[in-house]
Amino acid sequence: MEYLQIVFSFEALLTIAIGTIAGVAIGGMPGLTATMAVGLLVPFTYTMDPTMGLMLLGGIYCGAMYGGSIPAILLNTPGTPAAVATAIEGYPMSKQGRRALALKVSVTASFVGGMFSVFVLLMFAPFLAQQALKFGPAETFLLALMGLAGIISIADENSSLIKALIAGLIGMIIAVIGTDDMSGSLRYTMGMIELIDGIDFMPALIGLFSMIQMLELSGMRSHKIDTSMLEKSSKKEPMPKGISKHIALGSATGTVIGILPGEGATIAAFISYNFSKRISKTKELFGKGNPEGIAAAEAGNNGCVGGSLVPTLTLGIPGNSVAAALMGAFIIHGMIPGPELFNEYADRTYPFIISMFVANGVFLIVGLSFAPFLARIALIPPAIMVPVVSAFAILGSYALNNAVFDVYMMIAFAVGGLLLKKLGFSLEALILGLILGPIAEGGFTQGMIIGHGSPWIFVESSIAKGMWVIIFVLLIPPLLSYLKLIRGNAKQS
Amino acid sequence: MFIKSILTGVVVSLGLTTAGYAADYPTKTITIVVPSKAGGSTDRTARLFTELAEKNYEGFEFIIKNVPGSGGQKGFESISRAKADGYTIGLNFTPQLVAHVVSGRAKYTLDSFHVMGNVAQDPAIVAVPKDSKIMNMADLAAAAKASPLTVAVNGIGSDDFLAAKSFEALAGVEFNLLPTKGSTEQKAGVLGGHVDAAFMNLSQMIKQHNAGDARIIALLTDARDSHLPEMSTAKEQGYDVQMRATRGFIAPAGIDAAIQAQLDEMLSTIMASDEFQANAAKGNIFLLPQTGADYLSYLTGLQGETQAVFDKAPW
Amino acid sequence: MAKKNVDRAVLALLIVMAVLLYFSTANYTGIALKTSAKYVQFLAVSIGVLSVVQLASSLLREQSNVKLILTENMVRFGGLLLGLIIFASVFETLGFFIPAAVFIPVIAVLLGFRSYVAIGLTTAGVLTFVYLVFVQLLSVNLPGLEF
Repeated sequence: MEYLQIVFSFEALLTIAIGTIAGVAIGGMPGLTATMAVGLLVPFTYTMDPTMGLMLLGGIYCGAMYGGSIPAILLNTPGTPAAVATAIEGYPMSKQGRRALALKVSVTASFVGGMFSVFVLLMFAPFLAQQALKFGPAETFLLALMGLAGIISIADENSSLIKALIAGLIGMIIAVIGTDDMSGSLRYTMGMIELIDGIDFMPALIGLFSMIQMLELSGMRSHKIDTSMLEKSSKKEPMPKGISKHIALGSATGTVIGILPGEGATIAAFISYNFSKRISKTKELFGKGNPEGIAAAEAGNNGCVGGSLVPTLTLGIPGNSVAAALMGAFIIHGMIPGPELFNEYADRTYPFIISMFVANGVFLIVGLSFAPFLARIALIPPAIMVPVVSAFAILGSYALNNAVFDVYMMIAFAVGGLLLKKLGFSLEALILGLILGPIAEGGFTQGMIIGHGSPWIFVESSIAKGMWVIIFVLLIPPLLSYLKLIRGNAKQS
Repeated sequence: MFIKSILTGVVVSLGLTTAGYAADYPTKTITIVVPSKAGGSTDRTARLFTELAEKNYEGFEFIIKNVPGSGGQKGFESISRAKADGYTIGLNFTPQLVAHVVSGRAKYTLDSFHVMGNVAQDPAIVAVPKDSKIMNMADLAAAAKASPLTVAVNGIGSDDFLAAKSFEALAGVEFNLLPTKGSTEQKAGVLGGHVDAAFMNLSQMIKQHNAGDARIIALLTDARDSHLPEMSTAKEQGYDVQMRATRGFIAPAGIDAAIQAQLDEMLSTIMASDEFQANAAKGNIFLLPQTGADYLSYLTGLQGETQAVFDKAPW
Repeated sequence: MAKKNVDRAVLALLIVMAVLLYFSTANYTGIALKTSAKYVQFLAVSIGVLSVVQLASSLLREQSNVKLILTENMVRFGGLLLGLIIFASVFETLGFFIPAAVFIPVIAVLLGFRSYVAIGLTTAGVLTFVYLVFVQLLSVNLPGLEF
């Protein structure tokens, strides 16, 4: 009860609201990430009251995860990699003039996913953290495979499955550049010190999505916007029936994956998206603007927020890079993660957790009430939007590592990516490979060492066996339908 | 900047300032290069310093530039190449600073820097899962002889790796070494029982050890540590393996002597202040103040030791 | 250029890369030979095989002579690209603000925007926003001239 009083004081509510709204803006901007904002603001909270400081950062985390979906839907420029799956369904909906509905589905699903995961964090954190420890490198490898299975579901509605797979492999091969963790030696860096750590996925994300979109807009023959779309979008479209099933599925998947180690949110969004496509009654609409896909992906990535804090707070093992930065904020205030957080510092930890419920509520209200205004962003003339977004793309690429090299990288990804896109390679598959490649490699190589060179480690544990079953369930139906398609084509010709 | 100037004004009017030696220094903001991510322990060490330096020294403003990645190498290189005008200084951490030189990757040498002094340290430790039968270093050596143990170290060429290699040589064993990306993966491996042991740092495991979630079996330092006084050192247990991480300040070589002396003195004065020590204790940073000369001789010695390990088993 | 020819060229390039990648793993040392090398070999074989399959099916089936059109308006497309590269190349010396103050209006006019008041206001708004968020709030160290 006293914890509620702390959270519902005017000062705390204001702090949470500021953090959350700032988070939405950060997540929505290409190149600004929650990891960066939390990392840079940790020292800023140093002079604040610890509880207030943590609430501010928690709000940023919650808000940024949702914020990434707004430009993904409106402009096909996902602000975070976790919103790439959202863009696959959201942008087509936006083009059909259904952007108000897409935004509404996204904010609702984000809210439910976020609330559910924070509830799980509040109630079951210590128990779940112990379970998550059973998850070793071998299982991490399988989780990455499960995420990569998403490539097939991106593809099977488009023409070429093979091209999507090739694109995913290109991403994984680009990710190989850098230091070989096993030997410490450098691979394919061509003597460039900038490549020692490999290629950051953020410049790639900005280049492949935001910048390509801007290059395409700039090269379009006509810059007129069909204003009839606006009239259509102002018409209120009700929430689609049966969408709650997809939100629930995404929330549960996201929370579970968030608890596990690794960059959870992207994997969670794609796996949720993939699951939702399997159970959907309107599979054929996926890739063409199905709100069910948005619902699952957004519930999935926001589910990671609470989930990722489970091992962070109880064991000091951050579930992803934002959680790691947040852990720095706990430590700077003398709160070292572990059981102490829940007894000695309970008067700070519990208000922090409860404040994240409020943060989810804040972005729900903001998102719903501003959706009609946000939808107008898509109507800004491209001639003025292109230079502004481009300038942010450059600044964002630079600010990640304070490196101009990353800016050139971003431009290179934009040009190369545009060529691949025109040739029918899926850029979503490429970015998925780029992000999950290192996770897969780390899990595989560490698993091989722990298993003393025997690949049996990847099927040994019961968790691993269960994961293989899920991977096959995800892979077999699309492969079968693809084979059918080929056979059908062969008969025709 | 505006807010900072107002604050500086207030400080001046309260008369809380210290006179500088070089008359026209500083005239602009001083950049501190932190060769790691914002929010990490090196970053926090730098920010503890800047907070007090800006508060207590008139006219001094600092901005922190994070240059993360490649085990600090990018950051160290950018400090060594910075203009030696007193407006760029930076942090270093060991043994990575010298390990990059030894492995032949670095374009800098220790001579590229003026060593300002050490601030913090973190002793190396050996940790095992809580239900492991390994209780001490002798058990570890015996178990490793019986069957190859999977031992997690935080990347090749790190302090953990060097310590594990020295132990291997001393005990005549060979580990199944598991290089991880960061100490988080090591911690998860130990807590989840996926590895048999891990060479880590004290600050990363002390809470888990006290909570009974993992067990530290030895400190790899010369003497016991006040943060965990009942823990014996590997030296006491008969295996003289020593390793610790240190974090200090360096500057590009060749800064004007008066300016450099002013900066060095500022660092040692701040480190000696009660407020700095209290803040460090709160932030889980173990202090080990050393003057520039002492720290330089430590670094030179460390480079020699690292070279010896590298010559035996290059990475 | 016909789209199918570019496509075939890219696939051929990927096949060459796959072969090179596969054989490069022979240089790996120590434990990496049993771990990382296997992973990289798997990637190389997969992309090689898939590219061969795709190339073969393209050679056998693809008949259309559709041209590859990267952009419909080369001046605007090229102008934006050139602007980006110039922006990046002066970033280290001039910083963000001066190049952005030139870049945004120039590109806007290039793309056919003629409301100069709106351009001015937008540019000023972006610069102020960046100054407040990056420099004041987040203390990001942007390079550039001293003011």
